[in-house]
Amino acid sequence: MKDNKKTITRKGFIKTASAVAAVAAVSTVFKPSLRAFAKGSKPNSPAESGVWKSTTCQGCTSWCSVQVYVVDGRAIKVRGNPNSKVNLGNCCSRCHLSLQQVYDPDRTKVPMKRTNPKKGRNEDPKFVPITWDEALNTIADKIMDLRKNNETHKYMLMRGRYSYMRDILYDRMTKIIGSPNNISHSAICAEAEKFGPYFTEGEWSYRQYDVLNARYILLWGADPLSANRQVSYYLSAWGDALDRANVAVVDPRFSASAAKAGEWMPIKPGQDGALAVAMAHIILTKGLWYKDFVGDFTDGVNKFVVGQTVSEEDFTEKHTNGLVKWWNLELKDKTAQWAAERTGLPVEQIINVATDYGTAAPHAICWVGGGPAMQVRGGYTAMAAHALNGLVGSVDNVGGTLKGNKEYTQSFPAPDDFIDDTAKAGKKHKKIDHRGTKGFPVLSKGKPGGGVVTNNAAEGILNEDPNEIKVAIAYMNNFAFSCPQSERWERALSKIPFLVHLTTNASEFTHFCDIVLPSVHHMFEKWGYVKSMGNTYRHVTLLEPVIDPVWDVRIDETEIPWLIAEKLQERGFSNLLDHYKEYKDPETGKAPTNAAEFALYSLKHATHKLWDPAVYQGGDKFSGWAEFAKVGVWNSDPYPFKKRWGNMKTKTKKFEFYSETLKAALTAHADKHETTVDDILETCKYQARGEKAFIPHYEEPYMWGDEKEYPFVHVDYKSRLNREGRSANCPWYQEFKDLDPGDVAYDDVAKLNPIDADKLGIKDGDSIRLVSKTGKLECHAKLWEGVRPGTVAKCYGQGHWAYGRVASKEYGKTPLGGNNNDIIPADYDRLSGATAFYGVTRVKVVKV
Amino acid sequence: MKFPEQENQKKSEKKISRRNLIKAGGAGAAVLAGAQTASAKQSPSKSKRLAMVIDLQRCTGCGGCILSCKSENNVQSGIAWSNKKSRTVGKYPNVRFEYIPTLCNQCENAPCVKGCPTKAMHKGYGNITMHAPKKCIGCRTCLAMCPYGVISMHTRKPHAYWKSEDALIKGCTASPKELVEKVKGNVIPNYNDAREKSTPGSGLRYKGIVEKCTLCDHRVTKGLLPHCVMSCPADARVMGDLNDPNSAASKLLSKYRPWRLKEHLGTEPKVFYVREFNPGATKKTKGSV
Repeated sequence: MKDNKKTITRKGFIKTASAVAAVAAVSTVFKPSLRAFAKGSKPNSPAESGVWKSTTCQGCTSWCSVQVYVVDGRAIKVRGNPNSKVNLGNCCSRCHLSLQQVYDPDRTKVPMKRTNPKKGRNEDPKFVPITWDEALNTIADKIMDLRKNNETHKYMLMRGRYSYMRDILYDRMTKIIGSPNNISHSAICAEAEKFGPYFTEGEWSYRQYDVLNARYILLWGADPLSANRQVSYYLSAWGDALDRANVAVVDPRFSASAAKAGEWMPIKPGQDGALAVAMAHIILTKGLWYKDFVGDFTDGVNKFVVGQTVSEEDFTEKHTNGLVKWWNLELKDKTAQWAAERTGLPVEQIINVATDYGTAAPHAICWVGGGPAMQVRGGYTAMAAHALNGLVGSVDNVGGTLKGNKEYTQSFPAPDDFIDDTAKAGKKHKKIDHRGTKGFPVLSKGKPGGGVVTNNAAEGILNEDPNEIKVAIAYMNNFAFSCPQSERWERALSKIPFLVHLTTNASEFTHFCDIVLPSVHHMFEKWGYVKSMGNTYRHVTLLEPVIDPVWDVRIDETEIPWLIAEKLQERGFSNLLDHYKEYKDPETGKAPTNAAEFALYSLKHATHKLWDPAVYQGGDKFSGWAEFAKVGVWNSDPYPFKKRWGNMKTKTKKFEFYSETLKAALTAHADKHETTVDDILETCKYQARGEKAFIPHYEEPYMWGDEKEYPFVHVDYKSRLNREGRSANCPWYQEFKDLDPGDVAYDDVAKLNPIDADKLGIKDGDSIRLVSKTGKLECHAKLWEGVRPGTVAKCYGQGHWAYGRVASKEYGKTPLGGNNNDIIPADYDRLSGATAFYGVTRVKVVKV
Repeated sequence: MKFPEQENQKKSEKKISRRNLIKAGGAGAAVLAGAQTASAKQSPSKSKRLAMVIDLQRCTGCGGCILSCKSENNVQSGIAWSNKKSRTVGKYPNVRFEYIPTLCNQCENAPCVKGCPTKAMHKGYGNITMHAPKKCIGCRTCLAMCPYGVISMHTRKPHAYWKSEDALIKGCTASPKELVEKVKGNVIPNYNDAREKSTPGSGLRYKGIVEKCTLCDHRVTKGLLPHCVMSCPADARVMGDLNDPNSAASKLLSKYRPWRLKEHLGTEPKVFYVREFNPGATKKTKGSV
């Protein structure tokens, strides 16, 4: 093209216009904006002097494929990667903040060592710089001590955000050292959200939504124009989706998505289940269920009448299981009136939304976000709301809710041959987070104890239950900030004798560490890959080192474990390094000989089937690694709609309104503890007994604090500028915090409805304290009409007392604003292990 | 870089301003008609009147335009060339959130240009309201004249944050200045030299002058769209030549009734807004008395 630009003149054009090649040139070169060049002057300095290099943004879990504009090894600006079919060349506003993360002067530039042996919130760690060699030697010595003393189970690995290179450090290293204690952050993410689709349609995962073909979009505690997931795709599609679909938003707070919706349903926190079952009731009584998916009465007459049971024989189901059982056990009395009393929503609105949603079948999405799910009894609410997709046949359907497309990445070599007897003995110990105990069924993928109870690991460490933790390594996490009742983590981390943090910034977690290893910024300095879905596609996108690393940093998930493995080998324990040497370069067959080679070869191995034409499986095709690395992203084949109808991964292979899958899982857990399912549910704070345990149903909210003493319910939400709690040290974050509706720039505000504020004598900008049963925080008041009376909405993200000079008021001492996790109690949806963030905290508001 | 259009531009500009002075005060429909008549009278090949149409239905209020502008144009903290106005309207539970992306309106009758005693503010390629830092004497007349508040003054050296020599943890983290030197930036670490190359003095600006959005003239004159337009994930920003009835912008202005900020002042902004930020459906009603 450049050559064309140089030589093409108007005369030249006319001459060559007949040639096919020239036609292509015309369409590009003859754009109005380029006419200036065609006319003459000096056309030909390249329009942009730098290079757009592909990588991945992990600012949120959208995991957009992006590109960084690089000049002389320096990042200038960012954009979405036009090669992705998921985010289609788009990135959202938070992606731009990444520039201020990678070039944050407060990043740790060298390994650090604590010189103050006392640990605690009020103890200055007195960090001093040390060499990589000293840091790694110290770590290796501590691990060898555990191995010598047969205490390898006292080693712990904590994982926060990750790429899919995670298993090298999280799984393989922990296993080969010999510990059961690799603890991920997953349960402070949204495990309860996955509970709904798993126990109805057999998919333990997040979903993607075909919004462009939808006629109704019901956003339930989800705010996709602001946070999680595929934000950039939904930003790009929303304006067009609005042309075709009605959008309703269920949220006590007027969210960014509510600002672009037709209907706002400011529900009472924790009452989502009531609305869900009432909607199901209305859809059934009005005969609006989708018969091609659900089936129909044998005589075609609707017998779903308020208060009346239905005979199972009268209804023939198609691709679903247990509709009549669900009606008889739960739905028959759940009228709009009944729901209105609980939800605080008008009867008419409930009926209208349910009717419009049902009428839009099967192109009607019920989009269940973290809001209704991440509550103490939220697993069942996630089921109830997700079941609406089953009723209207939008599951796996055009304009509906979809799973991820097939992708062809592969796992790393198995570690079994390198797990010695010491490690085997260590691995047999119980895990520190108590998963699988009677009170924590954590039925991830239907398996009792199958998931993690992240926030409960603090209790395990504090109570040395099942054992003490002596050596711990953590990466890209900040549990002392991101976990509710974070003060517990401050004490737990202070108790660990040797704690290592792999991090970019000295965060709240770092404050309690003995050794700090400066890590790469994932988007600019790291090799890795992640997979995500949207726009009816899945992509696998590469994290690549696109700039000259700012400091002497290492890759957390690959280089650092390799370097530790080398040090362990020097000390006579070579199993880990021997294992890592099995990660060979698929192109050359060569084993890695150093950390940098290991980082690259392991990635090439994991993505081998995506880029090597010799082992091609599907989706985008590449000529080899070099092309894949340049393009930066692999796209799946198009979505196979309705392929799972009648072939779901549930016990019955159908969409389960009566979940045989959940019955099997709960029964297995009860059997393991030699008790009944009812006993398990009672232990785990649920209200259901008997058969209700296996169907989507309403449970009353479980909140901490007496209503008289704590009259308000706290509503937590996430900022569109949050890079998962890691962006508050970016000046742009503070400057544009008011991009979140209701929020204020350079401030952290709790939003009160003016009706409530008047009663309390609180005015805009007043300093206030939110006090819950388990903690308190201070921030400013904002009087706002976008919040339900009786609730206090406050965004998560501010309240850092460490991380850097912009994020904190006084680094290491005073927070800027307040951290929501200081008032949220540590509690759980125990069936999924998920931490409760919503509908769990009662607060009082005090003027200070 | 000088383009032949620029000469023609000046002539047509005068025409437009006379016309519009007579027409000033027109409502939305009149404005649209005006814009169309003007474009019909001028040959598209002779001049360009670059405009931006912002489709509020597509806009999601994400702020991508604002932040991407910061990186493209080395804009310091506290100043935003690309910005927004937002507010929450109504009484619970009947609430609306209003959001309007803002930027220099590229007025045809630009008060800042008229008021500038040194011609630092002037009309450039595509009728963009340009600023020549070397001519600016910092008198702030433009600031006073602009009814939109999109011009900012540097009363101090910009980017003070990045000149600090203090580190958070001694020996373990860097001072802002040290970081900029380490990555070979220029005052700021992610410094973009594209502006400076195009108009000397416009790269970082300096104490004693004003600055504002110039529609990414350094890109537009090279045939590239402004960076905010490229960065908008929703394609809510549509650029085009008003003199070309077939430009995407002109087509949108024909299809939807546009509105502009402070229409009554007769500044004739070339930033147009179409459709509604929230087009949500409503239930039929006749209301009540």
